[in-house]
Amino acid sequence: MRALIAALVLGCTMLITPMVVAESPPEPETAASESQKDAAEERATQFVGVRGPEAESVSGGALLLAAYAIVWALLFLFLLRMRGLQRQTAEELERLSAEIRASGDR
Amino acid sequence: MSDARQSGSSTVWSLVLFTTLALFAATLYAIFVVAPVEQQMGIVQKIFYFHVPSAYAMYIGFGVSAVGSAVYLLKRDPKWDAIGVAGAEVGTLFCLIVLLTGPLWARKAWGVWWTWDPRLTTTLLAGMIFAAYLALRSMGNAGEVEKRFAAGLALFGLVDLPLIHYSVQRWRGVHPTVITGKGGGLESEMYWALGLSFIAFTGLAVLLIWARASAERQREETARLRFELMHR
Repeated sequence: MRALIAALVLGCTMLITPMVVAESPPEPETAASESQKDAAEERATQFVGVRGPEAESVSGGALLLAAYAIVWALLFLFLLRMRGLQRQTAEELERLSAEIRASGDR
Repeated sequence: MSDARQSGSSTVWSLVLFTTLALFAATLYAIFVVAPVEQQMGIVQKIFYFHVPSAYAMYIGFGVSAVGSAVYLLKRDPKWDAIGVAGAEVGTLFCLIVLLTGPLWARKAWGVWWTWDPRLTTTLLAGMIFAAYLALRSMGNAGEVEKRFAAGLALFGLVDLPLIHYSVQRWRGVHPTVITGKGGGLESEMYWALGLSFIAFTGLAVLLIWARASAERQREETARLRFELMHR
């Protein structure tokens, strides 16, 4: 008899539990997806100019100066590298011309 | 090259050079005098006027490198290989500018120098691919195998460019989308400064690729002459 009651209780539990779980509202998932959506919308979507006295003074000036200095420094270094390449080529051409002249003299 | 063609080429070169210089002067005036200071970020936002056009110039450089490499693989003409090298070098230069100026802006805007945002990560990846290309080409005198392998690497790098462009639209991240996608745009004076900067950087990228390709072709020609002289 006890075994029959235990079997009935187990059967009811197995049947009812999935139904309760299925009917319960998925609140945590909704909250998570909302927070993900908010995070996705955090990126800036426009730049608005300040007019008049509200304009900020030079708090990011050092960063701005560094950025522009980097741009010009890298461009200058690239030009120096090109100058070096051209000098090497000119020297090589000069050497080859000398070799050709020397072989012509022989 | 015939004298007439060389003279025409020099004229175009000078024209592009002086136009670019004039445009850079106008761009600097527009950025620092005409365009207003941004409301949220302040003056550091002005990095944007060089940062974004540099990214655009990077696309030009890497795109030219990939096209030059593709044509080289098909035709085996050294001229296209020189264009591939020039594009890769100039693209890497502008990629470096993007990757160094971006963190300076990010420190003020986000409070960190770097974050693994999709756009930042894909840009770094492109820089690394083309740095590998340049490393491969700088190992002594590149032979035919190295040239072809590097050309394949440039084509692989090309795949990353659309990923960079669309990363802000497809994936979640913090990189601003002011002028693309669903961005709210800029004020009209800001658009002027940015537009001028785009044209100036395009001119600069064209000039640098042109000069570097010309230098590379001369270097290759010298190497060919040396080889012929040695085996005469």
